[in-house]
Amino acid sequence: MNPLFPSQEIGSLQKPSLEALHAWEERLHFMSRIPPIPEEVLRHPDVATFQNLRAAFAITFLESAGLDRVYDGEARRVEMYEYAARQMTGLQFQGHVRSWDSKYYRKGTALDRIDLVAPYHLEEFDFVQTHAHAAVKLPVTGPYTLADWSYNEYYLARQSGWKGRPQRRAAQREFVLDLARRVLRPTLEALIEHGCRVIQIDEPAAGTHPDEAPLVVEGFNEATRGLDAEFSMHICYSRYQDLLPALLEAKACRQWAWEFANRDADGHDGYEVLKLLREYSDTRSIGLGVVDVHRDALESPELVAERVLRAAKYLGDPSRIWVNPDCGLRTRSLAVAYAKLQAMVAGAALARGEIENSRK
Amino acid sequence: MNPSGIELHAGLTSPFPRSERLVAATRDLDRGRTTADQTERAYVEAEGELLALEERLFTDVTAGYLRWNDLFRPIAESWGGFTVGPLTRWLETNTFFRQPVLSSAPQRTPGAIAARLPPPLKGRAAGARVLLPGPYTLTKILDNRSGASDAEVLRNLGRLFAEEVQELRGLGFGLFQFSDPMLVTSPPEGPEGFGVEEAYRSIREANPSATTIVWTFGAEAAATLPWLNQLPVSVVGIDLTDTAPETLRPGPPGLGLGLGVIDPRTTLPETLRDTVEVVREALRRRPSASVWLGPGAPLDLLPARPAEQKLLRLADVRQTLIREGFGR
Repeated sequence: MNPLFPSQEIGSLQKPSLEALHAWEERLHFMSRIPPIPEEVLRHPDVATFQNLRAAFAITFLESAGLDRVYDGEARRVEMYEYAARQMTGLQFQGHVRSWDSKYYRKGTALDRIDLVAPYHLEEFDFVQTHAHAAVKLPVTGPYTLADWSYNEYYLARQSGWKGRPQRRAAQREFVLDLARRVLRPTLEALIEHGCRVIQIDEPAAGTHPDEAPLVVEGFNEATRGLDAEFSMHICYSRYQDLLPALLEAKACRQWAWEFANRDADGHDGYEVLKLLREYSDTRSIGLGVVDVHRDALESPELVAERVLRAAKYLGDPSRIWVNPDCGLRTRSLAVAYAKLQAMVAGAALARGEIENSRK
Repeated sequence: MNPSGIELHAGLTSPFPRSERLVAATRDLDRGRTTADQTERAYVEAEGELLALEERLFTDVTAGYLRWNDLFRPIAESWGGFTVGPLTRWLETNTFFRQPVLSSAPQRTPGAIAARLPPPLKGRAAGARVLLPGPYTLTKILDNRSGASDAEVLRNLGRLFAEEVQELRGLGFGLFQFSDPMLVTSPPEGPEGFGVEEAYRSIREANPSATTIVWTFGAEAAATLPWLNQLPVSVVGIDLTDTAPETLRPGPPGLGLGLGVIDPRTTLPETLRDTVEVVREALRRRPSASVWLGPGAPLDLLPARPAEQKLLRLADVRQTLIREGFGR
């Protein structure tokens, strides 16, 4: 049974260089989790060995920071969009698009009907399952985000005449549903067959077009309907109030994993939106973002605890809260990421102590 | 109105995407794999290439504003009262900006915007388009902790933009585009509407001979257009990929019309014939003697290569219209 305010990872970590891995080995001894690697191979590892090293490192990194649910920091994925996009036929890449500042991603173009080459994430899941001591939660990029982060030329070209808003909307729906049915669903089925029990569907694009929230949900439901796993939905950098109540129709979703800390500063209450869930009588658990992943400044355990307790008050039920970073920590150095995770775990423990004391 | 007499302009309406080489250079700089000097060389090369393309294709140039991290950053970084805040989604896109935080009355820093303009524009200010955030959109997206109402901030920003335009006029610039998408995505109501009018009036009164464009995108504009028509600016721009041309109605005779006809949400180059027809239809419904064609939403939502293809198509559209007797 989980403690009150259990902790979990939410996404990717920075991928360490070989030198960094050796440095972290002295601190974490993660190599003891995998079969011994000859010294010569360790100096010049092939791709598979390097990926295994990175995955073993990330699992140990997260566990030693004290997390209750872990994954591998997405060590084998280029990033959350491109990795998934490369598992499909029909998508091609044309270059980089900026997300912000000097952060970019390669945006695919659907030039034909989308189809799956083969279910993916299986190998990485098997590795994590074998080597993790803590519980495992696997993140999978959701169909709406895959569609929104791609150009949907094939589906758009099927619409006739000038490509105005109604034509774009119809094309987007076709694209999302193809991704949900032909890509996500078979992949989730295969993962569940491999023993995967907890799956986070990442939909960071959900807030991009708030009026398309019903389509986010339709894609989620198409991908997960009737599947036997504990699903959550991660959304970040969005105005959640704009997505409600539409999101609440995501039938199989058992947890909302959202970002809050980014907007909780200087007198602004980033957690206030949780009151809405209470108003809608939504009783799903919350993956509560309590550390900002875009700033190096460390949150103190006391600040984390205060955020957790504030959220618990808004929800009216502390037992529904998991703590996590706002989003993946890959834009932070590993040292900063580790310190943030430790502060997060320590803050959750402080908050737990407060609640337990108040019950005495 | 004689269609052949229309002054038909075309040009970029937003920052241009960074070239793949510049993407690599800026990424490498972030990761400590290259030097600031090498990255600067990549900027200079990309700006030079784009400027040459614009000079060949268009009636004004921008050099791409490739160094700007977002539309608001030059102000957030340099004007008094502002600081750079959290990552925030830019309208309905997968791009983000750092939200400007306004903690006290805004104060313009003389020379700060000029210093941040693309360097190649400094030698050819006369044919350059200066991109600035619209005062309304800037007011709406910032985190206002100044204690003043949004309407007050809006009026103050209008006054500061008026001074900014005056300063840039002194450097030889004459064409100013205010990107103000929120005028159509969240149209102002009540005092904010008056604030918008007052802000643009400040800019106009201080700079009667400047060409000022208010450029909108991101939502259907037909309902807001009658009000936009009253703004004291030279040109009102709307995005025809969001606004059906059949919904347009005649506007004031002296007001220029901006038409967004290139869609950065798709890499498919627009069909020449469809695009020409859409422009003709728009001008039948809403004649104007001064027409400004451009991408509707920001073109930096595309990778550089397809964006370049679209610039070529934009120039084709203008040339085709002129050949067919629509504009000069």
